[in-house]
Amino acid sequence: MKIRRAAIVATWLLSVAAAQAQQVAVRQEVLGNGLRLLLVERHGAPLVSCGWTARTGSVDEAPGLTGVSHLLEHLMFKGTRTIGTRDFAREERLLAEEDRLQAAIEGEYSLLRDRLRRGEIAGDVHDPANATPELAQARAQLARLAADEHALVVRDEFDRIYAAEGASDLDAYTTQDQTAYVVTLPANKLELWFWLESDRLAAPVFREFEAERAVVLEERRMRTESTPTGLLDEEFDAMFWAGSPYSHPVVGWPGDLDSITREQAATYFARRYAPNNVTAVVVGDFVSAGALDLARRYFGRLQGGRSAPSEAATSAPPRRSARRMTAEADTNPQVTIRFRAVPLGHRDAPAFQLLADLLDRRTGRLYPALVETRKVAVGEPAATFDPLRHDGSFEVTAEVAEGRSPDDLERAVLDELARLAAEPVGDRELERAKHLETADAIRQLRSGDELLRRLMLDDAVDSWPLINEFPRRIAAVAPGDIRRVAAGYLAPERRCVAVYLRRGDSAAVAPAAGGER
Amino acid sequence: MRAMTTRTALAAALLAAIATGATAAGAEIPRRPEQLVFPPLAFPVPDAGAMRVTLANGLPVYLVEDRSLPLVEVDVIFRGGQYLEPEGKEGLAQLTARVWRNGGAGDLDARRFDEAVDDLGAKLTTEIGPATGRVHLDLLARDAGRGLDLLRDLLLAPRFDPARLAAARAELLADLRSRNDDPADVEDREWSRLVYGERYWLNRLPTEGSLGAIRREDVAGFERRLADPSAMVAAVSGDFERAAMLARLDATLGSLPRGGVALPPVPQPTGTAPPGVYLVDVPGASQGRVSIGHLGARRPLADEFALKVAADIAGGPGFQAWMLSRIRSEEGLAYAAYADFTVGSLYPGDFRASFQSKSSTCARAALMTTELLAKLRTGAVTDAELRMSRNSFAAALLRLFETRFQAAARFAQDEIEGRDHAYWSGYADRMAAVTAPAVGAAAKAHIRPGEYIVLVVGDVAEILKGGADHPEARLDHLGPLTRVPPRDPRTLLPAAR
Repeated sequence: MKIRRAAIVATWLLSVAAAQAQQVAVRQEVLGNGLRLLLVERHGAPLVSCGWTARTGSVDEAPGLTGVSHLLEHLMFKGTRTIGTRDFAREERLLAEEDRLQAAIEGEYSLLRDRLRRGEIAGDVHDPANATPELAQARAQLARLAADEHALVVRDEFDRIYAAEGASDLDAYTTQDQTAYVVTLPANKLELWFWLESDRLAAPVFREFEAERAVVLEERRMRTESTPTGLLDEEFDAMFWAGSPYSHPVVGWPGDLDSITREQAATYFARRYAPNNVTAVVVGDFVSAGALDLARRYFGRLQGGRSAPSEAATSAPPRRSARRMTAEADTNPQVTIRFRAVPLGHRDAPAFQLLADLLDRRTGRLYPALVETRKVAVGEPAATFDPLRHDGSFEVTAEVAEGRSPDDLERAVLDELARLAAEPVGDRELERAKHLETADAIRQLRSGDELLRRLMLDDAVDSWPLINEFPRRIAAVAPGDIRRVAAGYLAPERRCVAVYLRRGDSAAVAPAAGGER
Repeated sequence: MRAMTTRTALAAALLAAIATGATAAGAEIPRRPEQLVFPPLAFPVPDAGAMRVTLANGLPVYLVEDRSLPLVEVDVIFRGGQYLEPEGKEGLAQLTARVWRNGGAGDLDARRFDEAVDDLGAKLTTEIGPATGRVHLDLLARDAGRGLDLLRDLLLAPRFDPARLAAARAELLADLRSRNDDPADVEDREWSRLVYGERYWLNRLPTEGSLGAIRREDVAGFERRLADPSAMVAAVSGDFERAAMLARLDATLGSLPRGGVALPPVPQPTGTAPPGVYLVDVPGASQGRVSIGHLGARRPLADEFALKVAADIAGGPGFQAWMLSRIRSEEGLAYAAYADFTVGSLYPGDFRASFQSKSSTCARAALMTTELLAKLRTGAVTDAELRMSRNSFAAALLRLFETRFQAAARFAQDEIEGRDHAYWSGYADRMAAVTAPAVGAAAKAHIRPGEYIVLVVGDVAEILKGGADHPEARLDHLGPLTRVPPRDPRTLLPAAR
């Protein structure tokens, strides 16, 4: 099933940028208000892939407000003072009234939290059974107001306008580090993109707030709660990133999702979506001079306070002992071993990427060792480097072969990592990994949409020239770099391990689960 | 970036787009986006005939230069697939696809063949689907010669290394064990069984027994049946000179011997389940997964375009679509809610409206879905909705032909499935001719409420309880309830939980 919009990209594989011979010709302009514009002309099919990204994501969320970046991404489709309303003046009065009621409701919840602390009520403050008469009354009033507002809303008008003009893949996504909005249009409709996007950056209205909160909770149910390991993966991430602003899920903790208010979302928008925190990108069949005129006219009208820089000034303390989580789930037994790595812009990032390539695939080191020789794993073990803006991770995941224990698998992986730390890699191995990166970097330039997303990612997480710089850094990695990185970052005492056992099968492998805790 | 050649059919569109790309400077910002005026855009679909050549052994190739990046991409598409699996050897197609690629070829054993591919940074994959399959090669243009030699070896002399066969079998057995883990997989499997019938070839799935019964000779024989140039078409595009590439292809793909044993036609489904509500219990699931629909249709279908528009208006991916607008935006009952009517070339597709919702609101959202479909059958479609849908299909056509390789591969796949290239050149006109009455008529003819199969996968007890605020919304309004027993993942036989 095709799921569009609001795809949460929790992890992604770094596939590096263009090879040395394949520079991407990017024209950069910075508007007076600080908005950065990147233009890449490609005269193939008559299409333009357009997007903009705010350099903000779940890493910038304070405790209690987890999930606000992603909820805001949903709300950005609800229209503006012009789009999505029959009578904004009337609607504005209703929204103000709703916010006043919401504040009263929050006051009631605060009282309920006191009662919960004292043990006078049980469960969750949002459970209707715990509602006070005042709370129930305020909520009923809020529902009536929402119904009045309902009559003034032109539902999904933003989407309708794009659809009527032949937009495809209208989409948005939130990660730890960025929030991005993309669409592909027939090449003659570029001005429509400038109109609609500058309008929603200038004057968004977060209408239908309660319905959208419910949608996000359904999204969480679908992606996290209804998948075999979704909740456990979330728990593992929290354990791995303990003490770091990356420790909460992008979608947010359910308790926070229940309590975020429209005013909090609006405050977050004002702080994080100022033009100096936004990069807009157009890739495709257009002429730069014309696009630049449009950008100045449309995006130039955005007023901005200055966005605060990304706040993740803190980082998790260094690890002093291995950590482990063992859980049962409806899944084949599997082991994940994860280490702290480095951010995307770090000088060791290329070596980490090649380290993953050296282990990955059937020609990498893990498959012959784990599957063919020691027969502890089934399928192709995966090695992944996942660099973020302030930090990064490196992990190996493999499925345990039937009849073998997760401990055997873990030991085999650690042996391979130790070998990389002790002995230099062979030239042919390293060349193979570099060749793969070179080819992948060029392959990713085929689709305008993919290039658009890559440029936005590089600029949100580091800076866009990385698309041309990273291949040079890859080419410069020497065997000694691989060894230094493996030895420096992948020491066994720094590992964080998740062992998943098939629910109900644990008796069969119980001895294996009894390792260090 | 390199200059683009102007020798292909896209050139005209390219020039038109450049001419219209710039906009007048200094203009005011209109108050509403509807006031914007856009220059016209021409998009002729690439000419399939100009791409098509035939190699020495009769193998047709859609061949087109694309000098925009230093890459070459090759698809070899063939007829045949899962429907040819003998009874008792279910899983043969999947197993063959894996060990074909992983088992070595020509002079190279499995490991050396893998290394030869990876040394080029190439991607080489084999895939065998229900009724067609393909071998795909994607690599740097400078390595194309070596890559095509490897491709020829793979098609001509695969080695099916026994150790790699054992590894592939172990992988498929592991997949079997986890086939009930994700409720989405259970939903897809049971949906197919209900719609196409349990005995239909599409639903004869691998079991431990069938995977154990497959021998290396079975795999080799299956591959030989498929890798036959008499039921094969290729697509090749990239950074090369056309004549030189043609010579190269003649020396590689053109050297494959023709087998010439005709494949049997794809059997058609006959055993669809009686209408009603089918319940699969997943105790403790926080969300129910619901699918509503029945068997779809097969080409050629006179009202295919009107039917596409109908399904798109009711259940398309855009938020203006009725299901998303009502069930998601207005009520907040689901994150995803879509409907699609697929029209197959070799066997029928299906009509399926589906969503996921918390247990207490599954019945309500299901009833909303059937109401929206009932409305669609009356033809109550506005001009704006019609225009939106037609325009999004017209734009989707641009995306389908975004790169020259996509065009070449599309034409090759069409030839394998027996679809005329005129389907694409006439696409824009047929789409533009769709009217509101035609949408209603197509919906009425092809969406048949009396045949609805409603599949619900989730916590059945909670779902049947429904929501306290809407006691009238009950699943049994949609038909008699039937409980589908869970299946043992290893045998697929009904099992007690």
